[in-house]
Amino acid sequence: MSVSAVEDELAQRRWRVRIVFVVATLLVIVGLVVAVLGGTALLRLTGTGTPSFASEEEHFKYGSIGAEPNSGLPYAVWKALPALFPEAFEGRDDYSAFGFTYEVENGVQKDLPIGISRRTYQGVDLVWFNCAVCHASTVRTDAGSEPQTVLAMPSHGFDLGRFIDFVLGAAADPRLGPDVLLSKISEEQDLGLIDGLIWRFAVMPRLREELLARRDRLKALKDEQPPWGPGRVDTFNPYKTLEFNMRLADLDPSERLGASDFPSIFLQGPREGMQLHWDGNNASLAERNLSAALGAGVTPDTVDHAAVERVAAWLADLRPPPSPHRPPPDSVARGRALYMNACASCHGYQSEDGYVFEGERLGLVEDIADIGTDRARLDSYTAEFAELQKSEFFKGTPYQFKHFTKSNGYANAPLDGLWLRGPYLHNGAVPTLAALLAPPDERPNAFERGSNVVDRANGGFVSPPCDPATASDAFCFDTLLPGNGNGGHVYGTDLSATQKSDLLEYLKTF
Amino acid sequence: MSDPIFEPLTFKNLTVKNRVMRSNISGRFDNEDGSLTQTRINWETRFAKGGVGAVVSSYVPVRMDGRIIAGYATIHRDDFIPLWRTLGKAVQAHGAKYILQLSHSGRQMDLPGVHNQTRRSPAPTNSAEPLHGFLCRAMSSGEVAQMVDDFARGAWRAREAGLNGVELHAANGYLFTQFLSSAINDRTDHYGGSLRNRARFLLEVIAAIRAKVGEDYHLQVKLSAVDHNNVLPWEGRGNTLADTVKVAKWAEAAGADAIHVSTGSLFPHPLNPPGELPIDVLAHTYDALISSGIHGFRNFLFFRYPALRPIFRHLWYRMKKGRPFEAVSLDEARTIKAAVRVPVINTGGYQTASVVREALTSGAVDAVSIARSLVANPNLLEHWRAGRDRPPVPCNYCNKCLVSAPKAPMGCLEVARFPSREAMVETLMEIYDTRPDLKVPAKEAA
Repeated sequence: MSVSAVEDELAQRRWRVRIVFVVATLLVIVGLVVAVLGGTALLRLTGTGTPSFASEEEHFKYGSIGAEPNSGLPYAVWKALPALFPEAFEGRDDYSAFGFTYEVENGVQKDLPIGISRRTYQGVDLVWFNCAVCHASTVRTDAGSEPQTVLAMPSHGFDLGRFIDFVLGAAADPRLGPDVLLSKISEEQDLGLIDGLIWRFAVMPRLREELLARRDRLKALKDEQPPWGPGRVDTFNPYKTLEFNMRLADLDPSERLGASDFPSIFLQGPREGMQLHWDGNNASLAERNLSAALGAGVTPDTVDHAAVERVAAWLADLRPPPSPHRPPPDSVARGRALYMNACASCHGYQSEDGYVFEGERLGLVEDIADIGTDRARLDSYTAEFAELQKSEFFKGTPYQFKHFTKSNGYANAPLDGLWLRGPYLHNGAVPTLAALLAPPDERPNAFERGSNVVDRANGGFVSPPCDPATASDAFCFDTLLPGNGNGGHVYGTDLSATQKSDLLEYLKTF
Repeated sequence: MSDPIFEPLTFKNLTVKNRVMRSNISGRFDNEDGSLTQTRINWETRFAKGGVGAVVSSYVPVRMDGRIIAGYATIHRDDFIPLWRTLGKAVQAHGAKYILQLSHSGRQMDLPGVHNQTRRSPAPTNSAEPLHGFLCRAMSSGEVAQMVDDFARGAWRAREAGLNGVELHAANGYLFTQFLSSAINDRTDHYGGSLRNRARFLLEVIAAIRAKVGEDYHLQVKLSAVDHNNVLPWEGRGNTLADTVKVAKWAEAAGADAIHVSTGSLFPHPLNPPGELPIDVLAHTYDALISSGIHGFRNFLFFRYPALRPIFRHLWYRMKKGRPFEAVSLDEARTIKAAVRVPVINTGGYQTASVVREALTSGAVDAVSIARSLVANPNLLEHWRAGRDRPPVPCNYCNKCLVSAPKAPMGCLEVARFPSREAMVETLMEIYDTRPDLKVPAKEAA
């Protein structure tokens, strides 16, 4: 029996207060847990950032230009792939099998190759390309010497086409399923509960979906094209499929082949106003740079303009390393005279102080009928595509493309750093400078690409003849395949053997 | 020319020798079982001796579950009739009439006592009284019918005791008010909703009393003219004067012989009894009420700590603004008087002969009832008869008697009115003169 009705009521109210207190405490605890978990998850899921580099060279090699969010692979996946696909990586635990260039520091190979940058996006550490992936490589002055890294030269050893084929193939491979991939990743790093869940239910499915979508866009095109081979890329056709959702059937058969060499990107400053790209479709350095960045995987939303502009500013006056060739001076002098007479107006010239950007037709487009080189690259860039580029990219921003235009030939390129730019012609169909001075029908029909050993005799890199029908370790470039034609640019082919020799010696000094 | 104060007042069934009644006021004089004591007789007789025309008993519960303060005499048992008869004779011996006030606390129960402490008071509503948090429960309609009958039985006992009449305490927040007030009555049956429904309980009680005691017995009804229920600002205002005018007319039609006009739907109320609120005294006395309601301790803190007092003071005093202490509800009484044919009595701080005279001669009311001013000066009427407008040491409306009721003896507790504190205590003790009546309890029946 209770003491009083009031005490009963108060006791009941105390219970109510206790219940309210307990509920409130639970709510506060739950709220705190949710806040902590939510905050952690938020930080985890929204974390963003990329390493910055003090030196321009490091920034060029490893700094992000913003390709990772849309095109990149999670770093953990990047690290796991070699072990999961040993056949593609030739059993190595790095990406050198695709011709990626690794630097060695204090006797230890760096974790990522040149041209691969990191960026944390929505809490996931991603890696993908920057400028250097296509514009940096190594050279050896002879077969016995140590490779020297040269930034801004063409990545003549990097087989981008094969790397893309591998990635697209892996997208549909069971080994990229969450179980296999996660267990492989777990060998390298402990993801923990939360990250494990995030990876299993968010990162992995998204990665695979995006890779499959990319495979859907690209594979038909890639399958139809001859292998690009090391040092080469079809710049615009993948662009058409990935950025503008064009299907292979949407592309005219004449425009489906566009593979050509990575260019060198030394001394960009003097090139401002020239007709840039092999076909000279744009005279704006800034637009060309952004267009190239799109090729590396940035999108108008993800591009890191500051990073791109930093690279561009550094490249403006980056000179190529001097030629290691030591041709006889008198021969060089005679060759120079020949060159100044017949070549300089289109290609500038090399002086004792370096390359001189002077010439009436330097940087201008030469009509395809006159130059006569393989027209596949020219035809791969269409007027319709130019209009799309201008109407879609960076629409409504100061970066909107305005200068793209369809040309009808190939631009006369400055020849700075010529010794690093073999094989030659826009499509790399001619292995050496010597071969370029031979009449087209005497030029090699097939040769190996990808060596970094300087060809002391012929200029360019050692590119021995090969038989496309015979398998070998090196990539055999077949000039008889469509888009790979080695005809045209017959200038100098009618010189005498002595004159050609003198001209070659002079060209080796570029 | 004769003094209107001393003109007799004739009701339908009762004639009172003058126009002043002792209004209901009590102390804890009586026994725990509800039987009255010599002290109560002494107390009531003091006023009769002082010359009032009638004494309205203090609050007399018709049931034990309707006590406001344990220690007040009840009329719930037939065997109490002789006690009340003795009291009535004592008062009547001085030429005064004795009117028994029939009451039930409803939810307004200040000190429940051993009978009531474990049960919720019967009331029209389940909602606790808001100021102190006194608990209650809504009666069923069957219980209401029983309550009606209990009032009728109370009236019958009063008549059997030879008392001169009864008054239904339908004012000041007790059970009748709880039915009448739109701010309190939340019933959905025929005792709630419209004013007529809310008045049903009162009218049924009047009818039941008439059926029980006949038409020739004096029955007056005390009503609060206006509820002013929003002392706590979040409470509703309650009934208006227009509502009460209707209730008064219905009561008259049902058989009431007079209307006694007070104000306020709780007790005490800022306007009833009018005057000060001695919060410092409450700090000493309110502890007796702490355990009575679920808000008791909260209120005690407001009284105990001077820093909190202004909050309560503000709530209490905001309703008094512009109101006199004396004749605080005379205007309302005048309005009711204009609407009914039976005499109207008004209470509210009367102490000045000229004020009372004016109220009578202007036709505003037929009589006044007085409590505190008579407690201060039981021979108030002698002062008036002697030509004094006010007694030399008047009541100062300090309300210390009011707020001390739960703990102290009833009487004037304003030391300033006495030569000394000892003189005050001696005066308080006068009514306890009961020794001659003490007797040896009878042995067990042999």
